Amino acid sequence: MVPIEYYMVLSAAVFCIGVFGILTRRNALMFLMSVELMLNAANINLVAFSFQNGNLTGQVFSLFTMALAAAEVAVGIGIILVLYRNFDDVDVTKATTMRW
Amino acid sequence: MAGAFDFAPAIALLPFGSFLVALFLGQYMPKRGALAGIIATVGSLLLSAWVALTVAGGETYNEPVYTFVAMGENPIQFGLLLDQLSALMLVIVSLIAVLVHVFSLGYMNDEGETGLPRYYGELGLFTASMLAFVMSSNLLMAFMFFELVGLCSYLLIGFWFRRDGPPSAAKKAFLVTRFGDYFFLIGVVAVFATFGTAQFAGEESFPHLAELALSGEGQVTTMFGLGAEAWFTVVGLLILGGVMGKSAQFPFHTWLPDAMEGPTPVSALIHAATMVAAGVYLVARIYGFYALLPTALAVIALVGGFTALFAATMGVVKREIKQVLAYSTISQYGYIMLALGGGGYVAGVFHLTTHAVFKALLFLGAGSVIIAMHHNENMWDMGGLKDKMPVTYYAFLSGSLALAGIVPFSGFWSKDEVLYETLVHGIGTDGGLGVVLLLAYAMGLIAVFFTGFYTFRMVLLTFHGKPRSDTARNPHGVHWNVKGPLAVLGVLAATVGAINLVPVHALVGSVPEFLHDWLYYGPEMLNGHHYHELITAGEFGGMSAGELPGLGETGTLFASAGISLTVALAGSALAIALYRGDSPVEHTDRLGSAKTVLFNNYYQDEYQVWLAQGLTMNVARAADKFDQGVVDGVVNGVSSVSLFGGSRVRRIQTGIVSNYATLLTLGLVALLVGIGLMGGWF
Amino acid sequence: MLVELLLAACLVGAVVTFVAPDRVAGKLALGISLLPLVGALYMYATFDGSGNALFGGATMFGENVAWLDLAGYQLSYHTGLDGLSLPLVVLSTVLIPLAILSAWTPIQSRQSQFYGLVLLMEASLIGVFSALDFFVWFVFWEAVLIPMYFLIGVWGGPRRKYAAIKFFVYTNVASLVMFIGFMTLVFALGDSVSSFGLPAVTQAIAAGNLGNVAGVAGSTIALVSFVLMFFGFAVKVPIVPLHTWLPDAHVEAPTPVSVLLAGVLLKMGTYALLRFNFTMLPGVAQDLAVFIALLGAASVIYGALLALAQQDLKRIVAYSSVSSMGYVILGLVAYTQYGLGGATFQMVAHGLISGLMFMCVGVVYNTTHTRMVGDMSGLASRMPYTVGALIAGAFAYMGLPLMAGFAGEFFIFRGSFASTVLPNNGMALITGVAMFGIVIVAGYLLFAMQRTLFGEFFSATEYDVREAAVHDVAPLFVLVLLIIALGTAPGIFFEMIWNASQPILDNVQSGGEAAVESLATVLGGVR
Repeated sequence: MVPIEYYMVLSAAVFCIGVFGILTRRNALMFLMSVELMLNAANINLVAFSFQNGNLTGQVFSLFTMALAAAEVAVGIGIILVLYRNFDDVDVTKATTMRW
Repeated sequence: MAGAFDFAPAIALLPFGSFLVALFLGQYMPKRGALAGIIATVGSLLLSAWVALTVAGGETYNEPVYTFVAMGENPIQFGLLLDQLSALMLVIVSLIAVLVHVFSLGYMNDEGETGLPRYYGELGLFTASMLAFVMSSNLLMAFMFFELVGLCSYLLIGFWFRRDGPPSAAKKAFLVTRFGDYFFLIGVVAVFATFGTAQFAGEESFPHLAELALSGEGQVTTMFGLGAEAWFTVVGLLILGGVMGKSAQFPFHTWLPDAMEGPTPVSALIHAATMVAAGVYLVARIYGFYALLPTALAVIALVGGFTALFAATMGVVKREIKQVLAYSTISQYGYIMLALGGGGYVAGVFHLTTHAVFKALLFLGAGSVIIAMHHNENMWDMGGLKDKMPVTYYAFLSGSLALAGIVPFSGFWSKDEVLYETLVHGIGTDGGLGVVLLLAYAMGLIAVFFTGFYTFRMVLLTFHGKPRSDTARNPHGVHWNVKGPLAVLGVLAATVGAINLVPVHALVGSVPEFLHDWLYYGPEMLNGHHYHELITAGEFGGMSAGELPGLGETGTLFASAGISLTVALAGSALAIALYRGDSPVEHTDRLGSAKTVLFNNYYQDEYQVWLAQGLTMNVARAADKFDQGVVDGVVNGVSSVSLFGGSRVRRIQTGIVSNYATLLTLGLVALLVGIGLMGGWF
Repeated sequence: MLVELLLAACLVGAVVTFVAPDRVAGKLALGISLLPLVGALYMYATFDGSGNALFGGATMFGENVAWLDLAGYQLSYHTGLDGLSLPLVVLSTVLIPLAILSAWTPIQSRQSQFYGLVLLMEASLIGVFSALDFFVWFVFWEAVLIPMYFLIGVWGGPRRKYAAIKFFVYTNVASLVMFIGFMTLVFALGDSVSSFGLPAVTQAIAAGNLGNVAGVAGSTIALVSFVLMFFGFAVKVPIVPLHTWLPDAHVEAPTPVSVLLAGVLLKMGTYALLRFNFTMLPGVAQDLAVFIALLGAASVIYGALLALAQQDLKRIVAYSSVSSMGYVILGLVAYTQYGLGGATFQMVAHGLISGLMFMCVGVVYNTTHTRMVGDMSGLASRMPYTVGALIAGAFAYMGLPLMAGFAGEFFIFRGSFASTVLPNNGMALITGVAMFGIVIVAGYLLFAMQRTLFGEFFSATEYDVREAAVHDVAPLFVLVLLIIALGTAPGIFFEMIWNASQPILDNVQSGGEAAVESLATVLGGVR
């Protein structure tokens, strides 16, 4: 059996890649993908601990998360489309009208 | 059977009723409310006379009539105290009020003044307040009506409000007297705090409690760690502040000459019987308290003597007839204070009586002259009025002789007694008090000279010589309503001295001293005899009567009378010498630089105006700057700081999603580090 | 029950007025506001309560209904009137109809909203003076601010927004501080109280239940909450140096609103000080007496000096309100029968007098369209009745005997001069200094009157200056008569005030002493 630490490291790595993507990318699509990575890092954790504890609740939660992620992608793509329509670009640093 | 005392409240209520009637209905009445005032004051006069007769029968009255505050151990009540002193004063006040009302018909109605309902209304309220003040049975009630008297004088001095002068003078009168009343009010409160009561008369009266406390038979709460006598002296001097304000004693005298801006009948009322008299009347009313306090007596005598002299010197150079009279009023009230301070209770009341008569006369006479002169008050424009208005002249002359203190006119008897009492107590008393009394006596005596001088200067310039202006050549005539009061007062001014012929009594024992007997047989603890005992008792006043060396008691009496008469005659003679003849000239230039000082009233107005405007206004402006700048500045500063801080902090909201993500991440890291540190992971 | 009827009348009346057309709103509001007046007068006539509401005295006309249970505390809807609150309810209900009447001329837009807000405020004011449960009281206390904010902010002068926001923020922050102070007190009482009822809290403190909380001594908590509440109420009074919102609010507010602001709203502050600080924590109050008395004296003198420096008639009256309220503080801290009673009496007296003065200034402003002293003179010859009322009001302000102001001031002076809360007759000294206010007040009012009312007629503005309409002048004379009535027969209110303030002093004599001792040790050298 694979020790829990390995899953943890994998999850942390995926999460960090996601964070890195959010901090450095300016393209909204890349942003969305990075968010998906972070969500899936959480999923890995849920599944790993569920497996470890012999309790299925965590895995059920990860299914919920996937459904949520799908919905989120749908909404996110919609937002990106609107963004493109209004700013002629999908660069997140261009859309700064909602500031002070 | 209902006696005089049952109707006594009506003495004050009648003029109050005339106030309401004249104010609200006066414009529909003939004479614009004057009749209401005359009827009411005549009614007051009759009732006062009835009260005086009843008092003469040996009855006195001291009962509450209205409860102001019913709660507590000592309810605050308004009561009537009708004894010899107040009965005498009631008669004086209501008599003068009647005459002033009648005179006003000539001075106001016949001259076509407007606003007469207001005038007669205020006159009625003035009379009512003064009568109520006179009858007051306790210090608080006295204070309240004292203030109302001040209000009425404000309204009446400022009667001609469309001009600039009268409102200003009215304001000054109220402010200066208010300054004195500030001390008076502290005194009232202190009397309550010390004795728990402010009654004038009876076993539970504050003078009596003070007497018991000082003789070691009673206990009161003194304050500020002072002994009983020292604390009582402080209280007495605080009350004296109000007296000095109202009675225009130095340094609160400055309002009175300005108050001449009011209508002349009002001046007569203010000076003779109401406002100014109220102050000294209060001292006489609580004389049982002051008689215990030699220091307070010394202050009263000194203030009185100094004011008498000080004001008389200023009267010497004035050009307007009413100004001369104004300074003479200040000076004469100085004499009354001198008498009261010098242990001469009867002398003080006597001079108060005679002065009320002759000063009312002089003011009404001056009013008559002013009518004749078409409201020109400058004596240098007059002259020669003697032949044109003989009634006014002889009445005025009678008043002038009384003022100057020439035998046998009333002023001679009273002024002589004032000086005599001060002199004998000054000689007989040891220590500082005696010296102070002698000093005050000396000032009073010198003032007699000036009094004679300015009085006859005024008479000569006004009535004698040749007319110096067109109006003086063709004066306006006056009617019966002016001549009548003058005639009554002229006779009284000559004869009223008969109520207390002390020197004659000393020679011929069968000639009674009416006033002396009247005041000596008042109710217990309120009579002259008791006061005399207090003053001469070693433990209280500590005065004793002495005599001039080698003359004996009677000799001293006559020597004193002779001296003051000689001085008065000398002053009068000098005035006659300087201003007689057809066209007198001004001699004021001979005074040199003193003239400027006198014309400017010793610069008393200047420093008081400076205190009010220069100092207080500047302090107020500085306070305003401080308030707007610092206090409000801090308030607005708090809001500015909040706004500024907000405007800086909000710049975090850049609108760039990456920045928000960075902040989120940093926050997460900080949280993790924080939790780690707390949990001891490192 | 009557209190609730009054509240209902005001609230329903407010709604009705809101939807009424502008044309009739003024008359309608006047008619509606007469209902609470009649009710209040009926309550006055039938009042036979005794004692102080906070010490279990018999209150009248109120209700006590359980409302909510919150974290072990019972909240009740509890109202009732005793001798201290009834005079203020009467004052409010008397001033509101007069203020509405005086609004007919100056308020020419959105009348129905204006009068609706005034009636809403009346409801809140009655609530503040009658509530006996802290939460009910606090809701009313805060509810007063809302109509006031709009009344200043919508119908005010040129800088109305600044004034309205300053007023609202200042007093609201103060309320927050006060709220914290009271809550501290309640929680420090621990299990000994199970409600926020003011009587329950008062009696628990009097019984000495103020315990240690988290290692902090009960006496320290009492001190802290006293200071917090004092700050909160001092803003409302206002006490120097927390007064600067007042002149701005007064200058910008329309006349009828100024009347209510000076006449009733300021009394909320002193009433609350009396109810909370000085009734509940007498020990702390006496320990801090020297500071409080000095603040009172400073308000008197400093406020009067500021009034002396003003040119705007409304600012003069506004600052003199600061000065007059200083006397109230002086009377409260004296802890004598005359001091406490005089302070409460002075609240009513000053309410009437300052209301009269603001109304007079308002009438002058409606006619001349200026309030500056230098812009006019000789008004007496053009508008004699208004000027007559103004002179009467000014003399009432100066404390002329037989008018209400003198009675209040004299009672306060008598009470505080004889007070023993400070050693070595310190109160007498401070009182003596504060009494100099009566000279300064005479100074600035006489100067202002001389320059505006007397002399030749002159007006810097181009308006036809003549006597105002009857409905403008009538309320002035109603107030003058009331002031004289109260001044000649102070027993009208003083008797019930006297009886209701007696328990406060009894408490000081018995239970209060213990608190003083313990606090004195905590404070150490403060005295």
